[in-house]
Amino acid sequence: MNELRTWLPTMPLIGAKLLELRKRRTIMIVTVLFTVALPVIFYGIRLAYHLSDPAQYAPAGAPDAFATAVTLMDEFGFIIAAVLGVTAGTADLTDGMFRHLVITGRSRLALYLARIPAGLLILLSLAAAGFTLACLATGFLHNPLPAGAVTPSPGAMADTGLWLELDLIIGFTVGLGLGSLMGQRTVPVILLILLEIIITPALAGHALPHLVNGERLIVGVAMDQLKPAALAGGIAVGPGGGPRQLNLPPMPVWALVAVIAGWIIGWSVLGAWKMSTRDA
Amino acid sequence: MTISDCWAVEVHGLTKRFGARAAVDNVDLLVPRGTAFGYLGPNGAGKTTLIRVLLGLTRADRGTMSLLGVPVPAQRGRALARVGAIVDEPRFHGHLTGRENLRVLAAARGPDAEQQIGPALDRTRLTQRADDKVSAYSMGMRQRLGLAACLLADPQLLILDEPMNGLDPAGMHEMRELIRGLVDEGRTVMLSSHLLDEVERTCDQVAIVDHGQVIRQGPISELTEGAGTAVQVQCSDPPAAARALGQPASVSRIAVTEDGLTVSLAAGPARKQTAQINRLLVEAGISVYGLRAAHASLEDWFLSVTSRLGEDQ
Repeated sequence: MNELRTWLPTMPLIGAKLLELRKRRTIMIVTVLFTVALPVIFYGIRLAYHLSDPAQYAPAGAPDAFATAVTLMDEFGFIIAAVLGVTAGTADLTDGMFRHLVITGRSRLALYLARIPAGLLILLSLAAAGFTLACLATGFLHNPLPAGAVTPSPGAMADTGLWLELDLIIGFTVGLGLGSLMGQRTVPVILLILLEIIITPALAGHALPHLVNGERLIVGVAMDQLKPAALAGGIAVGPGGGPRQLNLPPMPVWALVAVIAGWIIGWSVLGAWKMSTRDA
Repeated sequence: MTISDCWAVEVHGLTKRFGARAAVDNVDLLVPRGTAFGYLGPNGAGKTTLIRVLLGLTRADRGTMSLLGVPVPAQRGRALARVGAIVDEPRFHGHLTGRENLRVLAAARGPDAEQQIGPALDRTRLTQRADDKVSAYSMGMRQRLGLAACLLADPQLLILDEPMNGLDPAGMHEMRELIRGLVDEGRTVMLSSHLLDEVERTCDQVAIVDHGQVIRQGPISELTEGAGTAVQVQCSDPPAAARALGQPASVSRIAVTEDGLTVSLAAGPARKQTAQINRLLVEAGISVYGLRAAHASLEDWFLSVTSRLGEDQ
């Protein structure tokens, strides 16, 4: 009885949500594609170029390749994380299972919280696998290094991996909260894609008048300021194909952490509130 | 108001409004333990809304409720621990199998529920198809899976919203047998339906609801007792016979059938009224081949007490 009253999700509840998510074939294929297959394809192409003409093409594991691979994994990864989060937040509702779950008497908050470790377990493990492949390629396929290039140290790689995983956690939790809040899949996914590929680059690259530097409250802008040094020299991701450069006054680390925590906690609270009060 | 242990469901003064419209209007309802209880009413009468309020799927505006003697929504988790329910058409994750869907629900229930998956599938005769994806299930199979989900709780009370919907005659018979079997084990089954015949066949007691209000409730035999008699008349030209009878005070309803009329009599001396019907038909030149009196069915009684009678006419 006590168990039913608690708001903490149990291991079986997390396992059940994990089962429900990992059995979604389409989204799992797409997630694997953009987390694990992406670096494999990227380094495969780089390796093929290098082997075909070593004089013209740098080794597959050159530092710029690492920066580009991780940047791609981050851009696509955030979107995939958001889609997975929105799916986790809406699947019970759209499939008609939410009502069955509420009737069990289980705390709605526990039902919501169970989605977080379940979704992150899938997402972060796959992203870690993809990132490990990028690290291995950088470690073993970097010779001969181009003049002046320095292979990222293990510590720098670890920092980069943590930064990548943090960005995916943000994408997932914001997607989960927004999906739970809106109760449908399409609009939240579109909003989060717009946030990632248009709003964030635009606000990060162009200090807009009358915003009194409020752009810095966008989570992607805050994450850009925490971007590890190993990612310098990667591909251009700014608006119009230009590099994403911050034209905003920098914020102290504590403020950046506060912005990121605010996004994660804020959207989670909104999603959990809606789930707890929604008519089933 | 004290909450009693005698009732599986106890509701007092329950009201749920959607804007200006009261879907549930000051309802008092007592469902005795160990019975099959029918919550009967036309579509839109407020049956599903009452069930949703009872289960905490939506909030009541006013009133007190208890399930198995436990007040809800104050102790909703404790109350629902031994309650199984189907609300509306049962839907599940289509990409999971029936067994996997039950695993998801068992995980929400608690460790004991996991042990109930096999027996629940056996009881609802889904074992053979348990590892098929639910997207391939028929409506009847989804209804049975819904019932299997209810059984995970080893429920003392089952609340089933229109459980016969979408079932073929064999499926309805099977569902009826299942429900009666559960009641025979001492469980309480409260089912809502607009199918009077099914309620009459399945339930011991019934509450009639219309426009959000419970009009009557009690054992079916007691409720239909005072509802008069139905006379089945076999005759030539049934429409003309209906016109000839008109609507005397002793007749509550006349239904024209293929080979005659069914005349529902108001409470009173049935033999005298039957003779009067015969006399009126003969005087009007209608050939009467047979007259057979029978007790009023739940349908006759239902139509006499709900607004449906007026709508039909």
